[in-house]
Amino acid sequence: MNDARTEIYARIRGTATGASRQDIDSALHGLGSGPSAPLPSIEPCAAFLANVLLQGGSISTARSRKATVQAVAKYLFERHRTHKIAAGHDQRLAALPWRDAGLLPRFGAAGSNDAVSVSFAAAAVVETGSVILLTGKASPAANHLLVEDHIVLVDCEALLSTLDDATEWVGNLRHRPRGIQLISGPSSTADIGMTLVSGAHGPKRWHIILTGEIPAEAEEEARELAGLT
Amino acid sequence: MQVQSEDFIARAADALSDTAASANRRRLGLQLPAQREAAVATFGAFQSLRDHVESVRRHTLQHLDTYLDEFEQQALENGNQVHFARNGEELNQRVLSIIQRHSAKRVAKGKSMVTEETGLNAALEAAGLRVTETDLGEYIVQQAGEQPSHIVAPALHKPEADIRSLFYEKHPLGARDLDTAEDMVAEARRVLREEFLAADIGIIGANALVAESGYSMLVTNEGNGDLCANLPPVLVICTTVDRLLPRLSDAMSMLRLLVRSTTGQPITSYTSFYSGPARDGDIDGPRETHIVLLDNGRSDILASDYRSMLQCIRCGACLNHCPVYVAAGGHAYGSVYPGPMGSVLTPLLTSLEESHTLPNACTSCGRCEEVCPANIPLPQLLRDLRHAENEAQLLPTPVRLGLKAHAWLVQRPQLYRWLSGLFARSLSRLGRTHWLARRVPGMTDYLNTRDLPMPAKETFLAQLQREAENE
Repeated sequence: MNDARTEIYARIRGTATGASRQDIDSALHGLGSGPSAPLPSIEPCAAFLANVLLQGGSISTARSRKATVQAVAKYLFERHRTHKIAAGHDQRLAALPWRDAGLLPRFGAAGSNDAVSVSFAAAAVVETGSVILLTGKASPAANHLLVEDHIVLVDCEALLSTLDDATEWVGNLRHRPRGIQLISGPSSTADIGMTLVSGAHGPKRWHIILTGEIPAEAEEEARELAGLT
Repeated sequence: MQVQSEDFIARAADALSDTAASANRRRLGLQLPAQREAAVATFGAFQSLRDHVESVRRHTLQHLDTYLDEFEQQALENGNQVHFARNGEELNQRVLSIIQRHSAKRVAKGKSMVTEETGLNAALEAAGLRVTETDLGEYIVQQAGEQPSHIVAPALHKPEADIRSLFYEKHPLGARDLDTAEDMVAEARRVLREEFLAADIGIIGANALVAESGYSMLVTNEGNGDLCANLPPVLVICTTVDRLLPRLSDAMSMLRLLVRSTTGQPITSYTSFYSGPARDGDIDGPRETHIVLLDNGRSDILASDYRSMLQCIRCGACLNHCPVYVAAGGHAYGSVYPGPMGSVLTPLLTSLEESHTLPNACTSCGRCEEVCPANIPLPQLLRDLRHAENEAQLLPTPVRLGLKAHAWLVQRPQLYRWLSGLFARSLSRLGRTHWLARRVPGMTDYLNTRDLPMPAKETFLAQLQREAENE
């Protein structure tokens, strides 16, 4: 196989300009950056929540830690009549007052028997309504992919405006994560008769709870922007 | 890569007589372009985004050796094993030897056009492995023993009723009904969930490779590729040497362009960047990761006048907008890459001798170039291939002689004008008596239900000249 490597490199080198790395870098820098998508609102919380709705997600907001666990409990009760939920070994999740809402999270990787999981987004992107999850102990990929309902908590302080800001944010991480997942909706398919169906393999429902100092009218504005009111 | 493009015309005729599949394609040809158009309008500066990504792709291809080297170093540092394959057979062999080293039996695959190109499934199955395609469309065509008909939506040619019958035939359903698309998706989810959990090896493709950090980008709506990348203990990423982009920011720009051009969404449900194997303390993720980089003729394309074809980001927009693809369907092309991009790529990856009918499957309408996010001059490349076809004397003798006679004539403008004038006047006279509408030899059936337009009395050039004189 080393022969293959040598031969492929030789063939590609035969077409190259032979420019120095410095010249290549400066040529790349000279190409500038591409445009990003326009945001639906100048207020980031409303804009993010509107894009989540447009991507097929559902939303709620919580201004305190207690309200956050209550929002999770409300969702769990309404959808599954349960108080069980899977969660990664995330310190921010562990620190939430789950007992105040009568919830019993099971910390670890979700299995096929877990109906609902909760994750804490490392960051989120307003431009696309995406949450950024870094795979690892705090956020095992199984928790994002195996359950029927995936609840993601997003701190409004962690909102990044565009995908370019997300790139910069990744560049500033101290360690290179194994997996960086931008999740922007439930698992879906249109492979049968071009009919959009949720729950192809992963979550059928994707619920975002935006937490922190959120403007009072953000949720309502988001629903208006998404054309849901 | 196996091609059966010689029979394009016969296969296209078969496809046109399949009314249910034709209706599906017509729907695709209307719905997907409309979705793309709406997304482009909402984005606003789409042309500027296209130009930016094109300039980055051209730059990357110009310095591909540097970026490939950077990617390989970064991927190795991230803990991957990196392999190179000159052709499809080498890729299949390499993947098989990885699998055999682990004494693995079950393979879960994400959607990968590269492994369709190399025929990996057949090679693995011949070695006794159980290979399951997990993208729903790919799963359907695998169960049906067919090939994908579209590079993004592999099973769109199959009517819902056929998929229902297929599932009744292949799955032990008992008393369960499959009335709706939701029921069928739920059934596939149930079956494929077991495959994900039992798989020893996951195989996926990559939408892009990021040189600066060694990440592979994976874009899906189903999340099946992510399940393949995270649940089995060994992951193999099969991709090609031209998928490189210098920086993560370039991958993000390409992502904006790719998804809008494909489905009209701003982003897919899952966009993931994978660096390598699970770390100490991780409770999931593959313990071992391999990246297989395939050439299979790409370095030849890089060195040729067709280099711009390597800018392709595999969005499928040219297929959705091509009148020939929408009418004839993907299977008519007899190649894993159909439509305008396939009609350019297939002859370049195989040989013009095997697939010279494909560059002729074109009306030169130019829609593919209008919508191509990578600004690839597809009609021009198709024209160049037709020229090469003529040069290589691959056309039937009467067509070649006809083209020669035409070339001789158009190089003599006076004679051309006199003859075309005579032709126009004769046609006009024949048209007046309606003889033309009834008795064009070889077109009787066609004209039974259609009227030809009345021929003009004089040629376009003569009209233009007259108008110029009047002014």
